[in-house]
Amino acid sequence: MDKAIQLERLAKTYGRRRGLVDLTLDVGRGEVFGFLGPNGAGKSTTIRLLLDLIRPSGGRAVVLGLDPRRDAVELHRRTGYLAGDFTVDGRQTVRECLAFLAALRGGVPERRVTALAERLGLELAPRIRSLSKGNRQKLGLVQAFMHEPELLVLDEPTSGLDPLVQQVFLDLVREARAEGRTVFMSSHVMSEVQAVADRVAIIREGRLVTVDTVSSLRERAVRTVELHFDGPAPAGEFEGLPGVTDVVAEGPRLRCRIAGSPDALVKAAARHTVTGLLCEEPDLEELFFAYYRNGGGDDRVTDA
Amino acid sequence: MTASRMPEAPEAARTPEAPEALPHGRLPRTVWSQALRDNRRALAGWTAGTALAGAMYASFYPQIGGSMGDLTRSFPEGLRQAFHMEDLSSAAGYLGSTPFGLVVPLLALFHGAAAGARAVAGDEESGYLDLLLAHPVGRVRLVLQRYAALATGSAAVAGGVLLMMLAVRGPADLGGIPVTAFAAQCLNLALFGAFFGALALCIGCFVGRRGTVFGATAAVGVLSYAANALGPLVGLGWTRRFSAFHYYIGGDPLRNGFQWAHAGVLAAVCAVLVLLGAWAFRRRDIGV
Repeated sequence: MDKAIQLERLAKTYGRRRGLVDLTLDVGRGEVFGFLGPNGAGKSTTIRLLLDLIRPSGGRAVVLGLDPRRDAVELHRRTGYLAGDFTVDGRQTVRECLAFLAALRGGVPERRVTALAERLGLELAPRIRSLSKGNRQKLGLVQAFMHEPELLVLDEPTSGLDPLVQQVFLDLVREARAEGRTVFMSSHVMSEVQAVADRVAIIREGRLVTVDTVSSLRERAVRTVELHFDGPAPAGEFEGLPGVTDVVAEGPRLRCRIAGSPDALVKAAARHTVTGLLCEEPDLEELFFAYYRNGGGDDRVTDA
Repeated sequence: MTASRMPEAPEAARTPEAPEALPHGRLPRTVWSQALRDNRRALAGWTAGTALAGAMYASFYPQIGGSMGDLTRSFPEGLRQAFHMEDLSSAAGYLGSTPFGLVVPLLALFHGAAAGARAVAGDEESGYLDLLLAHPVGRVRLVLQRYAALATGSAAVAGGVLLMMLAVRGPADLGGIPVTAFAAQCLNLALFGAFFGALALCIGCFVGRRGTVFGATAAVGVLSYAANALGPLVGLGWTRRFSAFHYYIGGDPLRNGFQWAHAGVLAAVCAVLVLLGAWAFRRRDIGV
């Protein structure tokens, strides 16, 4: 078995509403896989299908070589899960909650739990009710990682975390990969997954738009670039450059959008004195646009 | 993986304002024990409240029992039957009317309905079940252990009532009722609460909405009361057989002691409801 997750035409309908349409996807063992899409695209639906919390209305999923429904208990033993809206009983203390969840797994070395909590800066004594959103999320991360599962399924794992803790989280993901474990994580923000993911799938409205490596997705992405010159911006020189569109000049400032390699743009700018350069991260919608524009996605977005 | 399990905190480090309700220090934590732990305060409240309500009514017996007996003798026979007021002058007759006929079982009913609605539907709506069910805990095991905790709670409430009754038995002039008769009535009380718990749990296993579950269970409770108390008044004696109240007090345990057949019916129906619920819960999607 070299696949951690295999989805074949996996589908889920809620009444008449379609949640997920014929999702076919493979995630290799030891891979960090980003699952990207706007809110409501079907990310949580997919994740909950993987864990047998909901059942598919069509197709099938094989996770760690197991049938999520028939082998649910075995699968859960080998999986760590962080829900999109991680909820625990607020009446428990953090320590109590972790002790309980560890006991459900047949015990977890205490050292490992306290070490994880310490790295994330999570206190064990407070009652969960009194925790902030970010601290609850840390608790969710600790319980997902503490038994060192073969497969980590994380739904929007960084939501509510401050940037410092996000870095710790990314370290945890890298360590998991280094140990050969598989991470399947969803997000609606590209930058969250691009730092660690090997490959990324993008879904929208329940359909898979594309699966690709992070670097080639970024190549394809359209981003907005802003250049500042020491004189009036020479807008004319930028119009018509390969990949450059929507050129707007305002005094010394020039804004444009660039798809693919910025090489031509940089070389054109290099003929002048550049006092400032700003390059915005492409957001997801722009990634989609890029994908449609380049035509690469058309065949894969049609009704499967 | 053997010796060093998750932290059992040193006593001092544990939240000082929350003394442990259960001596669980070295006990393995299970869905059952954790549910009891999480609910320990609510359960203590229900137990104390129900036992005190029973004790309050019982303590009125020396003053009220006799005079109420005289008063109600003039009531129509049917009415007296409906409200268990055939014989208010005897201790068993008095306790079987309002205290054990209405107030105490009603509290047990609501405890069962509330706990049952929370056990699956409530935690499903909050999202907590997503976490538990992503752990190596089968759905059937979760339902059974959650129900075991609920039944333990119902037994605790009934046990509290029993202890309280035994405590006030002398002072409240209830010596005419043997200890075994109190025990018999409280056994039925435990099963009665467990029945409404099982009903709520079962409905929750189908629909997963806490409000709906609690409302439906309470409605069944009211109908059961009506079927037992009022059905016979309008010539519908057969409706009693469908009422949990009938199996709880119809055999008059305070006078006749253990009613094993009635207790058995309640226990069997609990088992059927829980298994039906577990079957349904295994098949369906967990909501968010």
